[in-house]
Amino acid sequence: MAAEKALALVVRTVDWSETSRIATLWTRELGKVRVLAKGGRRLKSNFESALDLLTVCRIVLLRKSSGGLDLLTEAQVAQRFPQLRRDLPALYAGYYIAELLADSTEDYDPHPALFDEAVAALTALGTTGVSTPLRLARFELVWLRELGYQPELRQCVVCAAEVEEKDGLVFRADAGGIVCTTCQKKTRRGQDDFLSPKGLAALRELSENPEAWRRDLEDKVRVELRQVLNRYVTYLRGKPAKLLPYLRS
Amino acid sequence: MGTEGLGAIERLTRELTRLPGIGPKSAERITHYLLAHRGQAETLAEALFAVKERVKPCRECFNLTEGELCHICSDPRRDRSQICVVELPRDLAALERAGNYRGVYHVLQGRIAPLENIGPENLTFGPLLERIRRGGVEEVIMATNPTLEGDGTALYLSNLLAGTGVRITRLARGLPSGSVLEFANAQMLADAIEGRRGF
Ligand SMILES: [Zn+2]
Ligand SMILES: [Zn+2]
Repeated sequence: MAAEKALALVVRTVDWSETSRIATLWTRELGKVRVLAKGGRRLKSNFESALDLLTVCRIVLLRKSSGGLDLLTEAQVAQRFPQLRRDLPALYAGYYIAELLADSTEDYDPHPALFDEAVAALTALGTTGVSTPLRLARFELVWLRELGYQPELRQCVVCAAEVEEKDGLVFRADAGGIVCTTCQKKTRRGQDDFLSPKGLAALRELSENPEAWRRDLEDKVRVELRQVLNRYVTYLRGKPAKLLPYLRS
Repeated sequence: MGTEGLGAIERLTRELTRLPGIGPKSAERITHYLLAHRGQAETLAEALFAVKERVKPCRECFNLTEGELCHICSDPRRDRSQICVVELPRDLAALERAGNYRGVYHVLQGRIAPLENIGPENLTFGPLLERIRRGGVEEVIMATNPTLEGDGTALYLSNLLAGTGVRITRLARGLPSGSVLEFANAQMLADAIEGRRGF
């Protein structure tokens, strides 16, 4: 067994016994790992309280060669997000980030850019002036891109024609992008959500510009974005996220 | 997986393995110990059955009890104007061991943990609101665990209680973030109750 160091975000923990805990950690260096932490529930254990949900910690683990759980030997808090404890929508957005990370990648499949985006999103959520729905939408778009499901927002997914920001467009979740008005008439409807010119413009902005979430949007447009992302993420995962009912637009 | 179709020995071993912290080896050891100590096996079986049959949630606070009301709710010396809200009966027990709290409790029966499919509707917020509506409650002390989910649960409750006129306080932060009440020592908890502050 080789000892490996990593920076980890705690995305799930389950009590295993009085003194041990199983944690799913989403690490920058190794991707998702599942570890057994012995002594993890005791106040004065060597893990202190590092294994609380959505804590970033520096860890050392012993990697099991035979497919069992890796053994966590060290965990020290590197960053917490205390503002999530004072803002319920931001907290639920944080849980949603944990859910998307925990369920969508295989063990030992690292995505450092996605890890950095998750930490950036968790740092911003719940702070003054930050719109929770927009910051979360930016995270989702990075998550989609990193996993290879970047939505097509420039060309019609049926005819590949460039699409202007105009009335009558839809986002087709099962095709992964927008469908022009002509193709909507010619093809069978899919999992379509209406997308207004402003909605499309906002999605393009959020997808392409890392700072676009700092601007705010009309309520109506935010509702549209939430619907499109909910449907697309649900389609890709094959089931709705547990946190969907908790998310606000 | 059901264990009904198995032989008695294998069935017991399987059932033991399903308990927290008991692996296959321990389960086998306990099974053989019980086979060699039949009297103890019978006493254990009776104790298990009694717990299942007799222990239920207190109709007022959801603490565990064998009667309608738990020993705290039925104690006339306890101060009913203070309700201390905890996640589980074991947290209540830890606070009772600290020994300095004279109010009553409310057990939520868990914490809001959407990732584990536990939402507010699965907890006892409704009956708590009902208790407060009946009047006489001046202070609600949040004593959920200082974990992210425990703090989130307290936050949800404080939003729920806003406008009821009840004073909302939180245990003092002597307890490290991310820890659990159950493992805090009595003095630490006593200090946390003494030093509680507005939410
Ligand atoms: Zn087209
Ligand atoms: Zn009671």
